[in-house]
Amino acid sequence: MNTIRLKFKKTGLSIYYSQLDLQRVMSRALKKSGLPVWYSQGYNPHIYMTFTLPLSLGHESICESVDFRLNEELSEEEILKALENTLPQGIELVSATAPDYDAKSIAFARYDITLYGNGDDIVKALEEYDNITEAIVTKVTKKGQKEINIKELIKDVKILDKTDDKVTFTAIYPAGLSLNINPSLLLDYLHDNYNIKVLDALIIRKNLFDNELKILQ
Amino acid sequence: MIDNKLKSALLSVQKPARYTGGEPGCIIKNKNDIDVRFAFCFPDTYEVGMSHLGLKVIYDVLNKQDNIWCERCFAPWTDMVEQMKEKNIPMFTLESKDSLKEFDIVGFTLQYELSFTNILLMLELANIPLYAKDRDESYPLICAGGPCTCNAEPVADFFDFMFLGEGEYRTIDVCNKYHQLRKEGKSKSEILIELSKIEGVYVPSLYQIEYNEDNTVKSITSNVGAPIPCKKSIISDFKNLPFPTNVAVPMIGAVHDRAMVEVLRGCVRGCRFCQAGFIYRPFRERDADLINKGAKELCASTGYEEISLTSLSTSDHPQLESMLDKMLDWTQEEKVNIALPSLRVDNFSESLVKKVSKVRKSGLTFAPEAGTQRLRDIINKNVTEEELEKTCKLAFEAGYSAVKLYFMMGLPGETMEDIKGIADTAKKVIDIYYSMPNRPKGRGAEVSISVSCFVPKPFTPFQFVPQDTSEQLKEKQSYLLECVSNNRRIKVSYHDSETSFLEAVLARGDRRLSKVIFDAYKKGCIFDGWFECFNYQNWLDVFKENNIDMAFYANRLRDVNEIMPWDHIDYGVTKKFLIEEYKKSLEAITSAPCNKQCHNCGANKLLGRACFEYNKA
Repeated sequence: MNTIRLKFKKTGLSIYYSQLDLQRVMSRALKKSGLPVWYSQGYNPHIYMTFTLPLSLGHESICESVDFRLNEELSEEEILKALENTLPQGIELVSATAPDYDAKSIAFARYDITLYGNGDDIVKALEEYDNITEAIVTKVTKKGQKEINIKELIKDVKILDKTDDKVTFTAIYPAGLSLNINPSLLLDYLHDNYNIKVLDALIIRKNLFDNELKILQ
Repeated sequence: MIDNKLKSALLSVQKPARYTGGEPGCIIKNKNDIDVRFAFCFPDTYEVGMSHLGLKVIYDVLNKQDNIWCERCFAPWTDMVEQMKEKNIPMFTLESKDSLKEFDIVGFTLQYELSFTNILLMLELANIPLYAKDRDESYPLICAGGPCTCNAEPVADFFDFMFLGEGEYRTIDVCNKYHQLRKEGKSKSEILIELSKIEGVYVPSLYQIEYNEDNTVKSITSNVGAPIPCKKSIISDFKNLPFPTNVAVPMIGAVHDRAMVEVLRGCVRGCRFCQAGFIYRPFRERDADLINKGAKELCASTGYEEISLTSLSTSDHPQLESMLDKMLDWTQEEKVNIALPSLRVDNFSESLVKKVSKVRKSGLTFAPEAGTQRLRDIINKNVTEEELEKTCKLAFEAGYSAVKLYFMMGLPGETMEDIKGIADTAKKVIDIYYSMPNRPKGRGAEVSISVSCFVPKPFTPFQFVPQDTSEQLKEKQSYLLECVSNNRRIKVSYHDSETSFLEAVLARGDRRLSKVIFDAYKKGCIFDGWFECFNYQNWLDVFKENNIDMAFYANRLRDVNEIMPWDHIDYGVTKKFLIEEYKKSLEAITSAPCNKQCHNCGANKLLGRACFEYNKA
């Protein structure tokens, strides 16, 4: 039995599927592929799968992955071929290899965000964010509400591109098991404090890093 | 595709994938290569609509035609309705995202009376006038199909035409005829007259209804010679009828999220309360090998891990057991679970229970429908107490410890004794469990009883009977709870009597109700079948404002000679037969299943031959 890490992109129409939906989608795709996948051996057997880091609904990503197990040894080419045409629009397979890192080592994620609206206003808001020392937002968790200072966690924002009606910037966010900061918290802050329109923002997860900020890929 | 307006709407609502399409199995065509664009509209949420096998059948049949493109459209949930109004997004289909207004034919499926207001919601969101008479040639033809068209008089004013009976192939005929007539430059009214000549097509505007002073129907006529009666269409060679083996699979789940194959159509049982049991006659089964082969293909193409063999009474398929054996050959290996959703108490066998619990054990549900033998005889539910006992024993021996039982209350001839009978039946099942030495160890028995309120429906022997009033039903519900006392092994759930009352009014209503439904919609009624949206007071108000007595439709005993609002519609079974069955019910006389003995219901004239070879057995 060997573990396969399937890397994929989640863009376009597929951003509207939640993490739970994605599990269903992947499980059906693996079943349709006819690959000799390993099933859990319990009362209700199901395809064993682990997603490395959940992605929020509405966000795009070019660095998603899911691990599953195969009962036979197959080449990457054979696996990708079998999975052709089994996935919905917007999910694009990148590779299928042995896992290259432990999901527990994920510590940060980089997101590129494009905001639509007056370019000058957006740049001004981002520059102000860069200069302040404290940015308090309310994080809603299962346990209740919590006030956190995101400035301590999202230190730098870097503008990548600016036009009259949109601005793209990038930042690194804590991610993984111990602390996970959703980029929407920064967007909420920009909306509440600088009146920036964020609802139609394009949010793309670009890379994952370990705790020494080394890219995991 | 998804523009920025739609994108920001999608990111503001719950479950946005309800509105995106793009599932594997959904069909995209080039609209320039298409003669007829058909929008299949389901007037309820995506998750409800995507559970519906009829949608998948029509979608498959129409899209197999090169010149037709069938797309799907579902009622937007209230949060999306707000977004669409605010952002001026017209009601669109999932495939092309085009407005319903751009289609040639827009078809609604009428599954349930309480979804009628959602039809108006969807039309209005598409900027299409609600009344058929207000729509000229620039609008699509708006049609309806599904079980409720057997009496769709309450929504008659909104539709240009309706499909009666089995519409899957009739829809192709209508699309092609429409295309031809349009090309010839025919007007809407000329097109409708031509369509009315196709068997199974009903054009409500071609009929005139007159009423008596007591509000009953006086006459139903047609001054343009439209057919009276207007006959439903059926597929006579159901045995070899192909079925969809690749379907759009919802990514966000559905109420019934599994592969489905319809194994038979019609029902031999003749339970007197059951509309489906009469309007889907005659009984026809699909070929067992065809089912097995198609089921395997369907599971392979969809990735589903459960396949449901659906019908009104799956265990009445003559080759069920041998078919299951063949299916188990591949389902076990593929880890696919077989579900039989309509098992019967009276032919449940040890081998059957073993077969359905091979891969994964799903729940067991039976429907005794009534709590005493006398009442079961009245409704012609030919199930005996001994059979129920035997069945529960078999199930417990096979390792089940939970059983769900369906009942109805408010049945004709029902007394408090019968209500007590429901509780007694549940207690008896618990006792059986504990009397068995070989019962599943370590688990307590659990019996869930689900009790719905009886709604008299057209084309049944009970179409004449009054429904219990809400007060009577509430009294029976509280008495049932009293009888169960607090036996913690019995779980009781029941339906809201107010929605059942409205359902009864609409089910046996006439054309005068179109105005009431229109007014209710304008007052804000949508998703009436959803507890969180149902506004009973609004409905009471609009009936009052229109000076229409709801009890006239729901709680009145109708004379067998009265002209029913649906008497010009022919579903095969004759009114004479329904009256005979009704009279038998008054004396608690049962009728044998019709594969044992023909009762001359009239449905065989649709086949042009006898339904069964009686002397063979």
